[in-house]
Amino acid sequence: MSGSFSVVLPIVILVGGAFGITSITMFLRLKNKAAAVLTLLILLSALAALTHVVGRAPDPSQSASAFYGVLSPDGILFKIDYLGVYLIFVAILVGIFVSVYSGESLSRDHRFVLYYPLILLTISGLLGLFFSTDLFNIFLWVELTTVSSSALIAFRYQHEAAVKAGFKYLIMSGLGGMIMMLGVYFTYRSSGSLALSVISDHTDLFTRIGAGCFLVGFWIKAGVFPLHTWVPDVYSKAPSAISGLLAGVMSKSMLFLAPAVCLRLGMSSSELGLFYILFACVNMLFGSIRLLKQDNLRRFLAYSSIAHTGYLMFALGIGFLYELEAAITAGLFLFVSGAVMKSLAFLAAGIYEYYLHSSDVEDLKGVYRRMSLPAVTGSIALAGLAGIPILAGFNGKWLVFSAVLEISDPTALLGLALFLLSSVISLGGYLPMLAVQFQPSNGDRSDNTDVPVRDRISIWMALPIAGLVALVVLLGVIPSPWLRVIDWIMNWVSLL
Amino acid sequence: MKITELLLTGIILLPVSGIILMLLWRKASKTQAAIVAIISEGFAFVIPIILLAELRTGQPVSFSVPWIPMLGISFSLELNWLSLVFLLTEVLVTLAAMVYSLGEKRGEKASNFYYSLLLLFSLGMSGTTLAEDVFLFYVFWELMLIASVLLILIWGSGKNRSRVALKYFIITHIGSLMVLVCLITLQVQTGTASLTALAQRASSLPIGMQQFLILFFLIGFCVKMAIFPLHIWLPDAHTVAPMPVTIVLAAAMLAMGAYGILRFPIALFPVQSMQPFVIWMMVAGVFSEIYGALMALAEKHVKRIIAYSSVSQMGYILFGLGSLTAQGIMGGVMHVVYHAIVKTLLFMVVGIVLHAAREKYIQDLGGMAKLLPVTTICAAIGVLGISAMPPLGIFTSEWMIFTGGFRSGYPVFLTVISLIGSLFTVFYALRFFGKIFLGELKPSDSTGNPNKALLVPTIAVTVFLLVEGLAPAPLLTWVMRGLSTVFGGAY
Repeated sequence: MSGSFSVVLPIVILVGGAFGITSITMFLRLKNKAAAVLTLLILLSALAALTHVVGRAPDPSQSASAFYGVLSPDGILFKIDYLGVYLIFVAILVGIFVSVYSGESLSRDHRFVLYYPLILLTISGLLGLFFSTDLFNIFLWVELTTVSSSALIAFRYQHEAAVKAGFKYLIMSGLGGMIMMLGVYFTYRSSGSLALSVISDHTDLFTRIGAGCFLVGFWIKAGVFPLHTWVPDVYSKAPSAISGLLAGVMSKSMLFLAPAVCLRLGMSSSELGLFYILFACVNMLFGSIRLLKQDNLRRFLAYSSIAHTGYLMFALGIGFLYELEAAITAGLFLFVSGAVMKSLAFLAAGIYEYYLHSSDVEDLKGVYRRMSLPAVTGSIALAGLAGIPILAGFNGKWLVFSAVLEISDPTALLGLALFLLSSVISLGGYLPMLAVQFQPSNGDRSDNTDVPVRDRISIWMALPIAGLVALVVLLGVIPSPWLRVIDWIMNWVSLL
Repeated sequence: MKITELLLTGIILLPVSGIILMLLWRKASKTQAAIVAIISEGFAFVIPIILLAELRTGQPVSFSVPWIPMLGISFSLELNWLSLVFLLTEVLVTLAAMVYSLGEKRGEKASNFYYSLLLLFSLGMSGTTLAEDVFLFYVFWELMLIASVLLILIWGSGKNRSRVALKYFIITHIGSLMVLVCLITLQVQTGTASLTALAQRASSLPIGMQQFLILFFLIGFCVKMAIFPLHIWLPDAHTVAPMPVTIVLAAAMLAMGAYGILRFPIALFPVQSMQPFVIWMMVAGVFSEIYGALMALAEKHVKRIIAYSSVSQMGYILFGLGSLTAQGIMGGVMHVVYHAIVKTLLFMVVGIVLHAAREKYIQDLGGMAKLLPVTTICAAIGVLGISAMPPLGIFTSEWMIFTGGFRSGYPVFLTVISLIGSLFTVFYALRFFGKIFLGELKPSDSTGNPNKALLVPTIAVTVFLLVEGLAPAPLLTWVMRGLSTVFGGAY
């Protein structure tokens, strides 16, 4: 073994933490809130370790402290990937909010012992994926995220729909894994190696086929149309906080991972860009049209997520096709803004489910009078997702538009026109969904009286929601610090 | 930081403080919320008046701090003579609407939220007129839309208010997106987000791109102005919105479209680039003028009559701006101000009538002069005002608009049609007055005591209309200075 152990320290903390939490919670018979606090501490430790790694090795190509493992081509090697660090940073941030929130939202579940470790394993899987330098390890980490995510989705196994959703995700992601394995076969058959650094020097038709396989595999996990079939069921049936984590971070990360692998397997930047733009257009239109007719808030958010996958793919596609750094920057900003807005929306929806046992639109009429916190914060999230200034989503939109208008190419402009069309169509969904919470109820609940019974929202749920609202507003009003982080990341990322 | 800069930021920050205060003061009564809102908005009126002395030195008052340096975006505000005219117009209209709200039943519940949204609405418009950065301009432009949509959505009348609000939001947002594309293109292609710098650099863009931008800007701003056939959001939105919001929508917000046309296509691009659009702007103006007047003539819902009148009046403004002559543009800007006063007055009158008669269709109304003598006098002055009777203000502005039309160099018949079209304005105005106020009193259960909170601002606006009409010189001077500062003698 050579290099610096601190490179794998965040992974060790997360994986070790997962097992540690399980043991401690079981043996000490800890309650849900204690387990949530433990998870929070582990995630904070992982965040500190991640920051430490980045601080120690500013230049991954120069520093010996930027890798850990066996340096031979057949050895297992982990290397700092700054893009990965960025995405994991966001994942851990969202994970922190999700953990605190789950301190209350899971208080009615007896199986919380397994819940928190699964969150940690899912995030560690993502970290492993980005830090791995060979295809086999990438495949293994993909499988880890699949298994842990499936278990999280089907966490409320007493509900048949949740089990079905988890199974659907398992099948689809498993299919993606198999296709990736096929990609591993083609690549190994041609190059005789699984190390990405070796393969990238010997690319041919087979490695390119392998790249295609990986692209499809990652797209399944990202929920790209037409491989999106799991998305509506999963995001509406998984615990709401988990939907936030999956929709906001996990699935979108795959869109960054795919290029990182495919470009090294011989796929050209322009090919990749074209694929991304093409499917981005379909995704945004499909998502925004379908969200119009949804009668459940979480299914609505699921289709909104499909549309946002399209927006992100469009930004990245422009970046790859025209080798434009500004578009990748826009993509990285869209990623973080989408992560916080989507998590916020799902957490707010989760509050409705927790207190009202429903997130159906019909049941949310006039809910503001009963629960103002999720109504207001959920509306902020929806307004942000709709791209309204001065929230995070608007800056993402501005960056994408700026990048596209910089090149003024017909393909890009056509894509931009569809982007605009999609955002207008989706407004027809966002505004009614936002408004319904403030409208008078036609039901027979307490809001028929002048003084409605107000539900007191648990501080465990209110705090993460407030934190996410602050981030949505801060990213909208003062985006400069985050843009500087992206700029710094872009110095070390060689996606283009 | 100079005192003038501090004052300038106060136009934005003091209303923001008012909004925050009201959102925190959840138990504020309607009167308390109104007082906070009126004081906050009052600052936006007083400060520009104080800054007049600085403006008279010949330099605009400006303030700028970097906002998103990596994107070249700054928080830049500038008060010049042109923005002053639009700013004061919208602030005065909002103040009148705020006072008027006190007599309205709407906004009783959650009045802190209602008044904070009214302030936000006005803040959006103030920011739009003061923004000196394209990003900032768009942020305020959208704030104005969001606040108005929420006001309609929450306090609007009728079961279909959600549908109406959605229609209004989507259609005007499409226009906004067209403006957004233009703003970003300008910034990306010229490398600056500052309007002052853009005025220097935009003319160096390829002619094709300039014309593409002009076209998109014009369509985007015409949606906001509700120019035929882009007006389809207006009648419903004006009808459903609570009366004070309708007043702000019609008298102030529509004018923001005209301001946009002045600040972007007209001020940024050379006359040669604008030339191909002149005829189309004038034609669209004439169509809008006549269509709006005919619809107002045919309409039976009293609120919709005045709503369609806005479509018609915006047509005059577009016609004047489109003529690209000094007289036409000046007339257009003055028409913005006079229309704001007249429209505020007419909607206030409609509000009092609806309040007293509880009937909204013109055939069910009549003889209100017997019940509401003071309101009838106000209505008569308003009707004469909209009909462009001298010496009331609209006469002056229409005179200048038509002069601009004759001097535009385009076929005279366009201006003649516009002139003849103005007769329809007289018809619908007289029909409006005659059917509501003259004849036999109906319905029988009408109450004759208009709420003083409704009547006092109505009388104040009437007096203001008379004063403005009789003494147009200060406004004329401001507008002339405004146009010469912004356009540098190009027109």
